[in-house]
Amino acid sequence: MWSKKKEDAPEPPEKPAFVPSTPAVEPQRRESTSMSSPNRSFEAEPLTPRGGSVGSAALGKNVTVKGQIFAREDLTIDGEVEGTVECHEHRLTIGPNARVQAGLKAREIIIQGSIQGNVDATDKIDIKKEAKLVGDIKTSRIVIEDGAYFKGSIDISKPNAAPKTQAAGSTPSSAQQPLSTAQPTPVGSSAGTPVR
Amino acid sequence: MIFGGKGATGKASKEAPAIVTRHSSGLEQFHSMLHGSEDLSILDMSGASQANITFVTGAGHRISSDDLIGTMQQIFGDNFLEGQQDPEKVKRFLELALTFPDASFDGALVWDALQFLISPVLEETVARLLRVVRPGGLILAFFNANDKIAQIPVYGHRIQDAKTIAQVPRGALQPAQHFNNRNLEKLFEHATSIKFFLTRDNLREVIVRR
Repeated sequence: MWSKKKEDAPEPPEKPAFVPSTPAVEPQRRESTSMSSPNRSFEAEPLTPRGGSVGSAALGKNVTVKGQIFAREDLTIDGEVEGTVECHEHRLTIGPNARVQAGLKAREIIIQGSIQGNVDATDKIDIKKEAKLVGDIKTSRIVIEDGAYFKGSIDISKPNAAPKTQAAGSTPSSAQQPLSTAQPTPVGSSAGTPVR
Repeated sequence: MIFGGKGATGKASKEAPAIVTRHSSGLEQFHSMLHGSEDLSILDMSGASQANITFVTGAGHRISSDDLIGTMQQIFGDNFLEGQQDPEKVKRFLELALTFPDASFDGALVWDALQFLISPVLEETVARLLRVVRPGGLILAFFNANDKIAQIPVYGHRIQDAKTIAQVPRGALQPAQHFNNRNLEKLFEHATSIKFFLTRDNLREVIVRR
């Protein structure tokens, strides 16, 4: 009987299937809806469509902030900020209209606008071609597009244990490769960018 | 004095401005002198580029980026050489160019920027350059050796490997003066040593030891 119901069931539950591209997930959900109360599934699923945007904040281009910003979620800044911005463990996006005079700290930083200040990303910094950055960078990985204006120093921070093992005799090149922004935008592709 | 270089091996890319990939004896020398050291500080004056960042940081060094030609164009404008005779503009340029603490770098990749500066901006820029590089540090600079050329192509220089660079066209500018070996020796008279590599395509690559 149960098996018959399950065979019949597939059609109605498709409404809340927010991830149709992964059919493997659907049977699990159906089972869970049949086992637990239906309310639970309907509560959980509306969060899914928001997907990546869940837990992200934005400062629009007409917003000016002076002071310290601490975010515990992804943050996009497209306005003016003066002070400091910290989004530990999260992504910070500096939009194309942004004018930031601040020190920035985040897990990942994407820069399209203008920044004057030091930038510290534990994971990765992505500087787009329209970006302007004056300040020092500290990060594990960096991707910079040709055409981006950058004035400052880049310090590739190595994983904690790495320097000692390198010194101990392991091949330095292999140890350093992951740090060295290994998959850059191909030089040739961006090379046609005219002079600023 | 060493004459070397294998000249340009023209290699045009699909459309738009042709990117030239060439052997660089100067870069090879620069690299070999730094090779074996780690945690060095290198100044790249060709503007920010992924290739150069990858190459330098991949070798375990730190890179600082600046764009000397970009700063010149920003300050001196279209009338490039005339702009360098305007004291106000010169003052602004010097406020922006090479504003690093003394002895900050073990090496400086200046590329082709110096040949577009006229005296006394040139001498002041070179003096600053020598100041920001540590004693014993190296400077790599390129000068066009063709004294009949009216406009010198300007390139962004992207390091492909220890002896190969890709030159990305950035337009052309009027040369400030013709640089021969004697001029250059005088220009870098306060340096410890200077080496020249003259390529077949009239490029004088210069390695200066601070």
